[in-house]
Amino acid sequence: MDAQNAVKQPKIKKETKNKIRVDFERTPLKERLKAKFGTTFFYQKLVVVIFRLVLLIGISYVILFPFISKIASSFMGMNDFVDPTVRLIAKDFSLDIYKAVFTELGYWEAFANTLEVSIICAILQTFTCCLVAYGFAKFKFRGNKLLFMLVMLTMIVPHPTMRLAMLQNFKDFDVLGIMDLLAKINILPDGFRYGIKLTETFWPLYILSAGAIAFKNGLYIFMLRQFFRGVPDELEESAYVDGSGVFRTFFTIIIPLSVPMMITVFLFAFSWQWTDNFYTELLLPTGRMTLFNDIISDIPLSLRTDYAGQGLFYQAIHNTAGMMVIAPLIIMYLFCQRYLVQGIERSGIVG
Amino acid sequence: MTNNAVKNASKKKRRIASLDRRKARAGWIFVLPFLIGFIVVYFPIIFDSIKLTFYHVSSKPGGGMDLEWVGWDNYRQALFVNPDFVQTLISGIGKLAFDIPAIVIFSLFMAILLNQKMAGRAVFRAIFFVPVIIATGVMATLESNNILSAYMDSTSGINDGSGQSASAQIVSVLDFENLFDSMKVGKELVTMVVDIINNIYDIVNRSGVQMLIFLAGLQSISPAIYESCQIEGASAWETFWKITFPMISPMILVNAVYTIIDSFTAESNTVMRFIEQVTNTAHGGVISSAMAWMYFLLVILIVVAVAGIFSAYVFYQRRD
Repeated sequence: MDAQNAVKQPKIKKETKNKIRVDFERTPLKERLKAKFGTTFFYQKLVVVIFRLVLLIGISYVILFPFISKIASSFMGMNDFVDPTVRLIAKDFSLDIYKAVFTELGYWEAFANTLEVSIICAILQTFTCCLVAYGFAKFKFRGNKLLFMLVMLTMIVPHPTMRLAMLQNFKDFDVLGIMDLLAKINILPDGFRYGIKLTETFWPLYILSAGAIAFKNGLYIFMLRQFFRGVPDELEESAYVDGSGVFRTFFTIIIPLSVPMMITVFLFAFSWQWTDNFYTELLLPTGRMTLFNDIISDIPLSLRTDYAGQGLFYQAIHNTAGMMVIAPLIIMYLFCQRYLVQGIERSGIVG
Repeated sequence: MTNNAVKNASKKKRRIASLDRRKARAGWIFVLPFLIGFIVVYFPIIFDSIKLTFYHVSSKPGGGMDLEWVGWDNYRQALFVNPDFVQTLISGIGKLAFDIPAIVIFSLFMAILLNQKMAGRAVFRAIFFVPVIIATGVMATLESNNILSAYMDSTSGINDGSGQSASAQIVSVLDFENLFDSMKVGKELVTMVVDIINNIYDIVNRSGVQMLIFLAGLQSISPAIYESCQIEGASAWETFWKITFPMISPMILVNAVYTIIDSFTAESNTVMRFIEQVTNTAHGGVISSAMAWMYFLLVILIVVAVAGIFSAYVFYQRRD
C-alpha cells in the first residue's frame, strides 16, 4: 500500500529554472521480488506448471520409449542379447540387421508396392469421403438420416466378421450378378462367368476406397461432415446466386477451404493403409507380392541363428523391420502434424 | 386478376419445391459413391457373412467351397459347445467396462492440458498424436507379442530366454493394497486403479483420436465465456465444472461411443483375439463368424444403451 502511494506522489524538486528533478521512491528490489515471487498465487502457479510439465514429459516418455528401445536394439549385435549388462546402448555395435532387411527381405520392393497402394487408396478415400460428407452435411434429402446410420454401421461391424465372405466375394467379384448374366447371354466374354477374380491384386482395396467403405471411413465421413457443417451456408448461397452450380461451388469454394481437414483425413487414410495388415493379409496372400507385413514376420537368412539369445534377437529383427516400415510415416508426420491439429481444430466438431 | 395471383403463387411454390428437389438430387449425387459401394460391395459381403453362419463350409478338393445348410447349429456350437466363448465374452466386456471410462477421462484430461498455453506445447502435441498415426495394424501386432521390450523394461537383467519379468509392472498391487488397506477402500477399486496405471501405455495409445476430438471441442468453446467467468470471480475448478464440462459433454458422448466401437473391434481385444483363434481351427471359419455376429449384436446393444443414457445428460448450447 505504501509503495503504491509513493509511486503515485513522486517528490518533485525544482533544481533550476527550467529543470525539475523527480525522485521516485522506488520500492527496494528485495520487496519487489517478494511481491512477485513470494505470493501464494505464484507458488500455486509454479506447482501447477511443474506438475503439468512432469506429467507431460512422463507420458511423452511412455509414448516414445518403445520407439527408443526399438531403435536402440536395432544397432545391437548378436552378443548384446546375451549380455546382461547391456540395456539400451549397444556394446557390440553392428548394422547387420539393417543391411539384411534392405538386401534380403526386399525392403524397396515392399516400399514401392505399399507406397502405390497407400497413395491411391488415401487419395480415393479422401475424395469420396469429402463428397459423401458434403452430401450429408449440406443437403437435406429423404433417407439422409438412414444413410448416415448405414455409414456408422460400416464402422461398427468388426472386420473379422466379414473375413470369409469378403474373401469369397472378391474371389469371384460380380456386380450383383450382372456380369454373370451378361456373360450368359454372350454380351461379355466367357471369362466373366461367375465374376472376375480380384484377390491377389490391389483392386479390392481400391474398390473399397472408392466406395468410402474401407477401413475407418465412417470416422472420416463423420469428421468431414462436422467440418462442412461449420462452413457458413451463406458462402454457398452467394455462389448459387452468382450462378454457380452445386458441383462447381463444391470444387471451387468448399474444397480449397477444407484443405487442412483434407490433409488430416489423407494422413489418417495413408498411414492406416500403410500399416494395415488385415486387408493385405486377407486379400494379398504372401508370396505373390512383397509387402510390409511380410517384412515384419520374416527373418533374413544370413541372420538365422541357433544360439541362446535367439528369441530376443529375432524380436529385435522384427522390431527393426517395424521401425523401418514406419520410418517414412514418421518423416511424413513431422511435416504434416501441423495440419493434423489445425484441421481438427478448425473442424469445430459440435455434437 | 385473382386467378393470375393464384397462378403466380402456385408457380412460385412449384419453383421453390423444384429447387429443393434439385438440392435433394444433388445430395443424392454427392452420397452416390457410398450408396453404390454399400449396395454393390458391402451389402453382399455382409449378407454372405450372415448367410455363411448358417452353413457348414468345407473346401472342395478342386478348389471352391462346399456348403451344407445346418441352421442354427453354428450358433449352438458357439454358445453351448465351445467351453470358452461365453466366458471370454463376459470377461472381455467386464474389462472394457473399466477401460472405456479410463480412456475417456484420460483423453479429456490430456486434451485440457494440451489446450493450455505453455512452452513446448507444439512438441507435446506432436508427440501425443504419434500413436494415432503409427500404433495401428502392423505395429499393434508387433507390439502385442514384443518380448524384447518386456526384457528391456525389466530391472533384473537376467535373461531366462523368455524375456518375461515380473518387474515390468510400474506399480505392484501389493504396494497399493498395503497403502489402502487401512483406508478401507474396496479391494476391487484398488486393483482396478493399479490395472489402469499399469496399462497406461495401452490407454495412451488408444486415446489419440479421442484427444483430437476433445481438443477440437475445447477450441470451439468461446473464450468470452471464460472471460466473463474470470470477471465474476469463478475459480478454475468451478469454471471447469460449470463451463468446460457442459460445453464438452457432446464430445464426451461422441468419444464414449467411438471408444466403445474402437476397443470392441480392436485386434488387441481379448474377444476378438479369441474369435481369431477359433477361425484357425477346423470348421472354425463359420463358427467364428457366428460368434462375431453375436458379439456385434452385443456391441450395438451396448452402444445404443450408452448413447441413450449419455444423451439424456448432454448439454447442447444451441439446438437446431
